[in-house]
Amino acid sequence: MTVAAAIRERDVSQLPGKRDEDWRWTDLRGLIRQAPEPSAVIDPGSLGSGPFDALAEDVIVVANGRGAAHIGVEPGETKVVALRVVSRGDGAHAARVSIDVETGGRLVLLETYEGDAGGYLGQVGLLISVAENAAIERVVLASDGAEGVTVSEALVELSPGAAFAQTVLTSGARRQRLQTTVRHPGGHAALRLDGVYLLADKRHADLTTVVTHAALHGATEQLTKGVVRDQARGVFQGRIVVAEGADHTDARMGHHALILSDRAEVDAKPELEIYADDVSCAHGNTVGALDDEALFYARQRGIPEPEARAMLTEAFIGEVVDRIVHEPAREIARAWAAEQLRA
Amino acid sequence: MAAVKQTVEHVASLEKYKHGFVTDIEQDFAPKGLNADTVRFISAKKNEPEWMLQWRLEAFERWLALDEPDWAKVSFPPIDYQDSYYYAAPKEKTGPKSLDEVDPDLLETYKKLGIPLREQEVLAGVVGAPKYAVDAVFDSVSVVTTFKKELAQVGVIFCSMSEAIREYPELVKQYLGTVVPVSDNYFACLNAAVFSDGSFVYVPPGVRCPMELSTYFRINAENSGQFERTLIIADKGAYVSYLEGCTAPMRDENQLHAAVVELVVLDDAEIKYSTVQNWYPGDPETGKGGIYNFVTKRADCRGDRSKVSWTQVETGSSITWKYPSCVLRGEGSSGEFYSIAITNGRQQADTGTKMIHLGANTRSRIISKGISAGRSSNTYRGLVSAHPKAKGARNFTQCDSLLIGKHCAAHTVPYIEARNGQSKFEHEATTTRLSEDQLFYAMQRGLTQEEAVQLLVNGFVKDVLQELPMEFAVEAQKLVAISLEGSVG
Repeated sequence: MTVAAAIRERDVSQLPGKRDEDWRWTDLRGLIRQAPEPSAVIDPGSLGSGPFDALAEDVIVVANGRGAAHIGVEPGETKVVALRVVSRGDGAHAARVSIDVETGGRLVLLETYEGDAGGYLGQVGLLISVAENAAIERVVLASDGAEGVTVSEALVELSPGAAFAQTVLTSGARRQRLQTTVRHPGGHAALRLDGVYLLADKRHADLTTVVTHAALHGATEQLTKGVVRDQARGVFQGRIVVAEGADHTDARMGHHALILSDRAEVDAKPELEIYADDVSCAHGNTVGALDDEALFYARQRGIPEPEARAMLTEAFIGEVVDRIVHEPAREIARAWAAEQLRA
Repeated sequence: MAAVKQTVEHVASLEKYKHGFVTDIEQDFAPKGLNADTVRFISAKKNEPEWMLQWRLEAFERWLALDEPDWAKVSFPPIDYQDSYYYAAPKEKTGPKSLDEVDPDLLETYKKLGIPLREQEVLAGVVGAPKYAVDAVFDSVSVVTTFKKELAQVGVIFCSMSEAIREYPELVKQYLGTVVPVSDNYFACLNAAVFSDGSFVYVPPGVRCPMELSTYFRINAENSGQFERTLIIADKGAYVSYLEGCTAPMRDENQLHAAVVELVVLDDAEIKYSTVQNWYPGDPETGKGGIYNFVTKRADCRGDRSKVSWTQVETGSSITWKYPSCVLRGEGSSGEFYSIAITNGRQQADTGTKMIHLGANTRSRIISKGISAGRSSNTYRGLVSAHPKAKGARNFTQCDSLLIGKHCAAHTVPYIEARNGQSKFEHEATTTRLSEDQLFYAMQRGLTQEEAVQLLVNGFVKDVLQELPMEFAVEAQKLVAISLEGSVG
């Protein structure tokens, strides 16, 4: 985790830049020339409540890199936990959180990134382990500030028979990377990695996933959708690796983006790296504008153009949001997405 | 028999012109290793004008400052650039009086190269032979060029690069290095410094080239890198179809091949460039001895409504590093890329295309079919990008990979960069293995396993095969079958 090291050692030369293949579209080295001061300590009590507080049994706050470092779920236990990663001010901070769900446990992890108007540099590393027959549903709402830089790196260790489902929704930041790396053991473990990015102004968001299928019988399902406006830039990088011997792997990846202005940008790299022959892997990628015919249809029926556009983009994103299983979280995510689109 | 005489005389004149010195074999090689003197030697050997030498020397200087790229998914022992010959001409014999006197080895090689019978007839001067232009690059120097007059009648220039530098310096100066700049990449830069020979084609405005132009490349001299440089210019409203095919004999040492192909397409012009590449892939067990094919191919669609179509069948080489690209600059210009890449044994291929949309309403289409068998690795790597000014840019990409066997690898690495709100990019990719049901069905109907695999694979690559010119399509279909021999069972 070079970003974490760069922050802890205050050494900007360790930041990844555009010459690093995996960071070519999210250049941190070119952006941050000087190591920022460490962030100030903030009182968690002063933060108010987070979007998911009402749904959760436990609310865990990591403010400017400080706070709880572990979330545990006992065997057979079911829990809903809200994890708030809060950044305030101009400094730099890094944090590490480990999440363990033991055999047969169930966790709904409702994660939020909350930033203010400061020019902070925040990093969080999550180590998530899902034991046999355990399940996690992770819903992430990233509402960073326009000047903030956030890097979230989650490493997920799945056990055979486990299930991990994730939906990341973001409105971007000055620069933002939300990365998920999954070690998939096969063994009928199920994985879903979804994402939504809704970007305006000069915001940037990078959703990167790396899934490595190590053994027989693994399944991965991915769907990411994005809408970019103004001069925003959306990045999607998805890599699926199927190791030698990981036969009977079934992996699907989709990425679809709408560009709603002439100066916005979408960069995508959906990768397949396959070393086994009895597999079925596919990816699809589309980038384009709203369908003129659909717009025309809506307007013809008396819906004003701005509203028609909003309806069509909401429907476009809706397909991803609908896949969130936890219903109250899904409705909060839906309302959040609608708010971003109508802003 | 006029044609025979003409051909023979032409051969004689070419040979005399280039090697009219002694028959000392030693003289036909540049000393091993690469330095500014090697570059001067090559340039002097080819009687090049001063500006060409300067161009080469400048490229050499820049090459020294570059690093060999390492991002491709291929691995090979480091290349010692000082342990290679950079110039080798065919063995000289004093000008043959007739074709019978042409080195029988040479004729035998043409036979092995699989030059179609019709072309052999052409070379033999049979009356009524079909019109077919062959510019055979035999170990760095063009030996035989036919039908030049026929082409000259319509104003098409088709000759070796060395000849173009002497005869058409203005055209060469105007276009050489404008599509692939001297220091574009490590291998292109090396090529610019030491390029041996290649083809030069100029099709004047409004001319539809009356025949398909074809070149057979062949690496022959042991331990000699081959650095072809090809430049094709289609002036306004012109059309040309160019075929390139390659084979190579067995070798023990790895041979480096770093070619550069530049296509310039002006308003309303079209170039169709087809390649069948079947170089020695190395020992199937160890991978030893195969050709390293590090090629830079790029087309510049400068004119409005210009069009380029790349079709490639890549079955050979130990390592392939090749991305035929289109820079779609002109308004409404379009680029196509159809590719079949087959790897078997220990082969490694990292190939694909770049479609760079710069102009408005530009269109591109990519169909890539990769097949890996044995212990090989096959990567599709492609870029589709749209500049903010490329309003209405449109791309469709389909890349499918087929895996045969437990130890091969197939990768797909597409890059998509969309920088405006009015372009539309679609990309789909699949990776699967040969369907057992289909195999069973075919075998149940009496086909052997090998025949069934050939049938299914040919179906898999059909979309690309049908883009090849007729002569190549037949050859390519056979090649697909040969390449996969022994991969099942």
